[in-house]
Amino acid sequence: MKRRWFIKCLGCGTALAASQIDLWPTILGGIQNAYAFGFTKELASVEARYYKKLPGRGIECGICPRKCMVTDLERGYCGTRENRGDVYHTLVYGRPCAVNIDPIEKKPFFHFYPGSNAFSLATAGCNLNCKCCQNWDISQSRPEQTDNLDLPPAEVIALCTEKKVPTVAYTYNEPVIFYEYMYDLAELGHKHGIRSVMVSSGYIEAEPLAALMPHLDAIKVDLKAIRETYYRDYVDGELKPILDRLVQIKKSGTWLELVYLVIPTLNDSDEEFTELARWVKTNLGTEVPMHFSRFHPQYLLKNLPPTPQKTLERAHDICRTEGLDFVYLGNLPGHPAESTYCPKCKRVLIERRGFQINQTNLKGNHCAFCGREIPGRFA
Amino acid sequence: MMSRVAVVRFAGGLPGSDQYAVMLKCGLTALSDGGGYAGLVKRLFPSGTVGMKASCLARQNSTSPALAEALAKILIEISGIKDNNIIVWERTSRELKQAGYSLNAASIGGRCLGTDAADIGYSAEFFSSGKVSSMVSRILTDLVDHNINLALLKDHSLAGMSAGLKNMYGAIHNPNKFHANNCDPFAADVNNLEPIKGKHRLTVIEAVSVQYENGPGFDGRHFDRYGGLILSDDPVAADRVAQEILEHLRSKHGRPTLADVNRPVKYLASAQQAGLGTAEMRSINLVVRLIDAAGSEKAGELLS
Repeated sequence: MKRRWFIKCLGCGTALAASQIDLWPTILGGIQNAYAFGFTKELASVEARYYKKLPGRGIECGICPRKCMVTDLERGYCGTRENRGDVYHTLVYGRPCAVNIDPIEKKPFFHFYPGSNAFSLATAGCNLNCKCCQNWDISQSRPEQTDNLDLPPAEVIALCTEKKVPTVAYTYNEPVIFYEYMYDLAELGHKHGIRSVMVSSGYIEAEPLAALMPHLDAIKVDLKAIRETYYRDYVDGELKPILDRLVQIKKSGTWLELVYLVIPTLNDSDEEFTELARWVKTNLGTEVPMHFSRFHPQYLLKNLPPTPQKTLERAHDICRTEGLDFVYLGNLPGHPAESTYCPKCKRVLIERRGFQINQTNLKGNHCAFCGREIPGRFA
Repeated sequence: MMSRVAVVRFAGGLPGSDQYAVMLKCGLTALSDGGGYAGLVKRLFPSGTVGMKASCLARQNSTSPALAEALAKILIEISGIKDNNIIVWERTSRELKQAGYSLNAASIGGRCLGTDAADIGYSAEFFSSGKVSSMVSRILTDLVDHNINLALLKDHSLAGMSAGLKNMYGAIHNPNKFHANNCDPFAADVNNLEPIKGKHRLTVIEAVSVQYENGPGFDGRHFDRYGGLILSDDPVAADRVAQEILEHLRSKHGRPTLADVNRPVKYLASAQQAGLGTAEMRSINLVVRLIDAAGSEKAGELLS
């Protein structure tokens, strides 16, 4: 195989998203490290997992609740899995189009090794089509429409080891659609002491999730709304399987955090925040970190304004009143609700500004002031 | 208002470029309502750049390069379109090449290229209609003034049928998102996207050898010869007639109707509702012509 080598920069805080739309990756700043990566025009061709052959012809994909029926030479909804003679192939195994080293807080994970970095990667494609997607240029593209790296799992782990990055994050797009790559990377990572975290919408079938979770250290789920109508109209998906998966993750003991992107007029009523808080409390408990993020108009929702700060604060207050212990506000740098507070003594445990940590008052997994145990994974 | 559809059948063997030219001229004459094919061609393609969106997903079962060549010659001969201003196009250059087309992106000769060719790609702008929001091939948005939907009739396991409307899935960047519910109303919405609707001039559906089952991928066990071309400036009416042919071939080979196997071609009704054309046979003025091996022409039957 011909390999063209380009010196590419791995910038801190900036995804290296290479797509046909952008024509070529742009480095936006914060450059810290330079690596040599091989770009390839060749799509991967690795047999996918979790599919079954249908009587007659065609296959049914079993990776996500969409259960696409795919005939020869066609692809599933995600655009990354193709039927070739009734053998289903993933076209994105080892073919990330976005690679970067991010603070773990950017995912966001606030209770998972705060202050550490994550080698973050994504391929093209997604099994949803959120009208507010901030990474639509890769998530809503097919892999031949992006510029992809040839980066097999062993190379990612070698880079993490060399650069002392403790975690790989599968992020930016929906990692479920590059399940095989994520699985093998996570499994290999554990053998080399590298952790893995999945940043997902949770739109995955129970069986592949159960098989994957032993190799993951944490999962962040974007719970986009608490109403099926929102999922139907703005996500092109379903809520119920996601709620089921959240319960499954919680029961497994894998560390879980939730994000809820608050979009003016679409999912921002008091009733929805209350319903959300009560569902979380009942099904996941009070200690699951709940992040409310500020929406910025983009992709297919350019007609709506950014989320007012007061709306986010209302969501925060409702969830706290309903009894959730760790409620955060995101995309509001400098807001007090970016920080972690002890539910017992109310003092600041982790003071944040944006993705930066200014002070930590933890002793292991406990509040340094009152000794209350703080849920999460801390150094 | 009635839509006019011409079906031209060839009684000889596999048509070559010369036979396709005869069939096309016959069909265009039938569409012209007495005005002659030249007048119609001049009216539809007065000048500028003409695109032909081929259908090449299934390699050996693709729209024939000989058909594209015959159509290009007519445009050059009648409208004086320069050969370099004719572009045969698809999603990818690889698909065109695998279907037997000779790629050419140069400034000399007829052009033939995929949206993935250098400096092409998709529009920066999103176009929306109904449930579809997509970027559209820059070949359509930026390079051509008029488009011919050069489609292929075949069975489709999800849509029921792939003909003209379904062929335009190859013009958008995210076709994989729009196959649910038998592609309804998505196929209608895709064809209602402004660049697709606005530049459509003519649909030519190749139905020479038709795969009536197990499409859209190639399955050599389920082909039958129909020997026809379907032409119309109404993309919905062309598909509606194509559906009659597909259902006829399925019935001939003992296959249930598409509706009976949960693949009704629902998107045609949605396309009619969107104002793209007529999906009712009673509103279609159908002309069927039969050309024998010697080139003689006479009235023909749609289903025989």
